[in-house]
Amino acid sequence: MTKMIVVTVKLYGQRRTKKIKLTQGAKIADLLKQLNYNPDVVAVRCNKKIVPEEERLLNDDIVEIIPIVTGG
Amino acid sequence: MKCTFCGRRAVYNRRYAGTLLCDRCLTKSVERRFWRAVAEHKLIAPNEKIAIAVSGGKDSVVALHLIADYCKNKNCEVAAVTIDEGIKGYRDHSLPVARENAEELGVEYLIVSFKEAYGATLDEIVRVAKKRKSRQHPCTYCGVMRRSLLNKAARELGADKLATAHNLDDEAQAIMLNYVRGDFSRLHRLGPIYPPREGFVPRIKPMREIPEKEIALYALLKDIKVHLAVCPYADGIHTEIRDFLNDFEVKHPNTKFMIVRMFDRMKPHLAGAMHEFEMQRCNFCGEPTSTSVCKACELLVQLGFKRQK
Repeated sequence: MTKMIVVTVKLYGQRRTKKIKLTQGAKIADLLKQLNYNPDVVAVRCNKKIVPEEERLLNDDIVEIIPIVTGG
Repeated sequence: MKCTFCGRRAVYNRRYAGTLLCDRCLTKSVERRFWRAVAEHKLIAPNEKIAIAVSGGKDSVVALHLIADYCKNKNCEVAAVTIDEGIKGYRDHSLPVARENAEELGVEYLIVSFKEAYGATLDEIVRVAKKRKSRQHPCTYCGVMRRSLLNKAARELGADKLATAHNLDDEAQAIMLNYVRGDFSRLHRLGPIYPPREGFVPRIKPMREIPEKEIALYALLKDIKVHLAVCPYADGIHTEIRDFLNDFEVKHPNTKFMIVRMFDRMKPHLAGAMHEFEMQRCNFCGEPTSTSVCKACELLVQLGFKRQK
């Protein structure tokens, strides 16, 4: 059976968090795809550190998604 | 994951170059691109006064920091100008951020509002436009009036150049938008510098070769206070083109650079295709224009706003 991990996802500037289940070995890019985010329009902090989308996630990681496409 | 250049922990995958970058290498690279653009296109000369359009968003605040730092070594003066269009719940949140950054850097700071200049905020203008069933998008009113006020403010400040924080994404979007609209006149004016003409302060775009995401990461990594929010009026064809280019960039990295580079190669050949027009003064506000009434006054008069001669 495929092993699963659970990460906590928070959107920048919001208090609400969401628990997301992913397969073990999933990357930030997989999480963004699942949440329908284009990696070019967000920055991601994992456990308070900015990380590239290719970084693998671990169980209980806290991920903050920062939308960077702003303005008009 | 390790930085391709120094082996430290990577924070960013620069897919279009096939490299991973750590915080130090990424911020240095952003600064180098800014300096290269300034040097290559001769955007800032020693002893000049540079006015910077600062909204409080990430691009303009990072531009303010980079230009202020560059100008320290070139004996240049810097002034930050914020246009308060009067967008409730948006501009009122970004204004304090712009001011804080200008104060932190010890830069002259000026706010110019639509309300003072035109007698109405953008929110009020949009409300009237909707009532009158105008087909103009709010961005048309905002863009035209903001550009006019920025130019006027820069001129009154005695600035030699007016810097805007257009990034690589903005420039690629503008090129595509003008293609889609078949707007040759606007297309041929794009580029790193808009040459001097009577009444206009030359506009420069020193951030034009830096992708939007790298500017955002620069602000986050340098802990620069910025306002991250989307304008409530942002929708329509601009956002469609932006989303299209972002999707395309993920599938085909380097697309945005290629669009801008290709345009830059074509630009010298476009120069002779446009007729030069004689500059006039707007009958209402006295600002420079190609016709008897400038676009800002024309739009306002169409909506029934009074313009004083």
